[in-house]
Amino acid sequence: MLPSSLLTVWKRKGIIWPRYAKFSNDDLEVAKVLIEAYKRGLGEKKSVLKEFVGELEDSGYDYHFVRGLSFLLDRRSVFKCNVKANPSDLRRKLFQATGELGPATTPEMRKRIIERVASELKIPTGMIEELLYADLDSELMMEKFDPLPPQELLEKYNLSLTQTLLFDSTELKFTASANWQKIFFAVKSLGLIYDAFKDGRLWVKIDGPASLFKLSRRYGTAMAKLLPAIIANSEWTVEAKILWKYTNEICDFKIESWKHRALLGSYKSPISYDSVVEQDFAARFQALNSEWRLKREPEPVLAGKKVIIPDFAFEREGAKLYMEIVGFWTVDYLLRKIEKLKNAEATILVAVDETLACERLSNLGKHTRLNIIYYRNRIPLAPVLRYLRDASREANLKQTGFLKNLPVVFTEPYVEFEEFAARIGVSAQAVRATLTEKPPDNYIVLPKGLIRKDRLEQIKKRIDEQIGRSGGLPLLEAAGITEREGVDVTSAIEALGYKIVWHGINTEKAEVVKPQKSN
Amino acid sequence: MVRLWFDRGTILLKGEVGTPYGKWDPRVGCYRAKAMHYGDILAYLEESQIPIQDEVKQLPPLETLKSTVQLRPYQKEALNKWRGAQMRGILVLPTAAGKTYIALEAISFLRTQTLIVVPTLDLIDQWRSRVKECLGVDAGAVGGGESSVRMVTVATYDSAYLQAELLGSKFIFIIFDEVHHLASPSYMQIAEMYIAPYRMGLTATYERLDERHTLLPQLVGDPVYSVDVGELTGKHLSSYTYEKLYVELAPKEQRAYENEMAVFRNYLGEKRIVLKSAKDFQRFIMITGRDRRAREALLARNRALKIALNSEEKVNLLAHQLEEHKKEKTLIFTLHNDLVYAISRRFLIPAITYQTPKEERRHILENFRKGEYRTIVTSQVLDEGIDVPDASVGYILSGTGSTREYIQRLGRLLRKFEGKQARLVEIVSKETVEVKISRRRSQKKGEEKPSRAPQ
Repeated sequence: MLPSSLLTVWKRKGIIWPRYAKFSNDDLEVAKVLIEAYKRGLGEKKSVLKEFVGELEDSGYDYHFVRGLSFLLDRRSVFKCNVKANPSDLRRKLFQATGELGPATTPEMRKRIIERVASELKIPTGMIEELLYADLDSELMMEKFDPLPPQELLEKYNLSLTQTLLFDSTELKFTASANWQKIFFAVKSLGLIYDAFKDGRLWVKIDGPASLFKLSRRYGTAMAKLLPAIIANSEWTVEAKILWKYTNEICDFKIESWKHRALLGSYKSPISYDSVVEQDFAARFQALNSEWRLKREPEPVLAGKKVIIPDFAFEREGAKLYMEIVGFWTVDYLLRKIEKLKNAEATILVAVDETLACERLSNLGKHTRLNIIYYRNRIPLAPVLRYLRDASREANLKQTGFLKNLPVVFTEPYVEFEEFAARIGVSAQAVRATLTEKPPDNYIVLPKGLIRKDRLEQIKKRIDEQIGRSGGLPLLEAAGITEREGVDVTSAIEALGYKIVWHGINTEKAEVVKPQKSN
Repeated sequence: MVRLWFDRGTILLKGEVGTPYGKWDPRVGCYRAKAMHYGDILAYLEESQIPIQDEVKQLPPLETLKSTVQLRPYQKEALNKWRGAQMRGILVLPTAAGKTYIALEAISFLRTQTLIVVPTLDLIDQWRSRVKECLGVDAGAVGGGESSVRMVTVATYDSAYLQAELLGSKFIFIIFDEVHHLASPSYMQIAEMYIAPYRMGLTATYERLDERHTLLPQLVGDPVYSVDVGELTGKHLSSYTYEKLYVELAPKEQRAYENEMAVFRNYLGEKRIVLKSAKDFQRFIMITGRDRRAREALLARNRALKIALNSEEKVNLLAHQLEEHKKEKTLIFTLHNDLVYAISRRFLIPAITYQTPKEERRHILENFRKGEYRTIVTSQVLDEGIDVPDASVGYILSGTGSTREYIQRLGRLLRKFEGKQARLVEIVSKETVEVKISRRRSQKKGEEKPSRAPQ
């Protein structure tokens, strides 16, 4: 973040945009020259360095830019007062003397005062001049400098510029692809209020308590501090309302990862800091090879205008369940959590560590019937699987109920269960169950789908024609006929009541025959 | 039943009823109101006979106050006016008229948790020692790295603003020293985010050039008492004389000055820019952000001003003055830190700027009070309200031409000292822009003619 006097922007038709450093040769050159100057500055006075910065400003570069880079480099430097004696003590002695003898209005008087103090402190008079204000900011010596590549300096500059612009924001809206836990933790600890809603993606709108009454820049600094957590992601969008103080107008600012990631540098997603409990659970669950897919750090779940950030999502067709792991807790906290969970748009299991409880579990009373799983050290799989099984069953039930009343009229000659299930977004199992139980008129149920009766008749006719000539039909030829209609041969043969006669294991020698009619 | 609690500078109300002061907040599903309406809300709910559960206040413990304050008649009158206005309002009194004592007496009268908001760290120290001396309790302080909340607490405007979320529910009475600061867009949130129903504003300069002081009555209360320098001078304050000394720039300085100013004037002429008001100048500064030539022109002007302000001749004249008035307690003001340190080095006298460590500043002021040091050179940090009890001479070596600065600097000299008249001396370079700044400065306040102050 930079002092707001160094913020430089362009503004047109209500849109505001910082004048970012470009990665052109020119800008890279300035960055390089400055970094070199700071490297050379080791052991020099700060004023020497600043003089150079001033010269660079005056030689045709934008002073906002030059000073901004210098500001960032200052923060990577350590300046120290590099003298043996304490200048502040010296000043006391000196001013004491002046207090007695009067101000040094003549060179003679000045000499007299200095000599007196010098002899008192047993130091040479020249040293007094040197020491007198050696602790002023401009007199400090550079002791350390942590260099960085020019490209990286420009990226940091651009990020700082963005944050400085956000100082003046009254409201901020964002989406992100991950990192939610960290983001919401930051939102909370920065004293902000959020409002979550779905518009394709999950959007979060941020402002503060007093924003309700009037537009206020009060929370701008907090929003600026939030930015790094948001952009430490593969995908993000940030939109802000900026109250531009010079004209008092509201401007829009929008920055998106797909367009602008390079400007702010390639922020690597921070490694997720899963706890041992989480890692252990994930490993054991995955070893089960369950039909449920386990997802780590899923997107937050909306609960009214608030969100819940689960640790895991369990997914299968038509069903999704979440689990949040709670470490330290009090009954009060858990009750509040449960209250929030009531509004959640999905089922969330809460795994609660018994050993870390601050209060006795019995205090929770009748609430224990909620989706709470207690654990010690590791989360037990059995109760989780029980919830998942119930969820599967419930999902199937729900889906079959839904399918029974589905206003669909089938006209296609062949309906494959899986394909149809995917098309309407339910599980194939449920489709199969519903359609097998009560097949639509004019259709016959095959193991993998439905076939229209007239189409089956057509297949029968063709096969019969072929069999008619030879008494049996090679399976491969029969397959040619059925597959042309999109139906697998074994299903069709079975539906027709025909048989396959195998001669050994060779498919090429298998034949389809009509069953002998019994007399 | 309505439940009220404090949420980071606002009040949340949960219950079946709203109030005229609340607003529905869909983000949390409650009514929310500005903390400043706390008193109004309580009164409203009581009048409507609605039972409440009030969890708003988080007050520090009360302590026993022993007041030793003796008010002068006009101070008593001011306090009574304020009490008559339901313990809200602004008192306008010149510097050194004892505003502090009126405020301390108000605290002693209310005997309640009180926050005093002041502009500078120096003033925190000063108020704390006054509280100790007059009320017999230690005051807490928030600002400058310190953070202790007590029954009587002193905070800077900056800290009171930044920590409003935390401090807003801890005080029943809030005093704004130099209340004209409160009208700025960010500081006014202090008034809005604190619950204190009792409020007092103190200032010598109620009116602001930007007219924002019109916002103050709704935040603190109306101006309830006002007395100006003229009415008090001679009787309660020492009178002063004002003189202006001109110096010529050295020939070399003069040439450099004219060259730089020519660059500036040529640019303005070419672009037909007229700089008459502060607003014009602001607009010009905006242009310099975009236009390189404008910026060069501005830099040339700044260099010219610096030559005029820092002129060698001025410092020489100052040397003569200091030599002549050796025995008197003297303050030297100048705008530029460079010049402060140049003067400090040359005359070996203590300097105070924003860079001076807090402990050293305290030490210098204390020694000045005791008379161990007789001269201080300083930039603007002493500008407001700091007690330097018996300085009798002041020199102004540079300035910005603002009215308030002029009055406040003057105010610092208005201390009765052995019945002696104070002197304010301005040292100005001849025939430069600076003369204009200086003239503007003294013309703004009608009654203060450049020759002699009212007796």
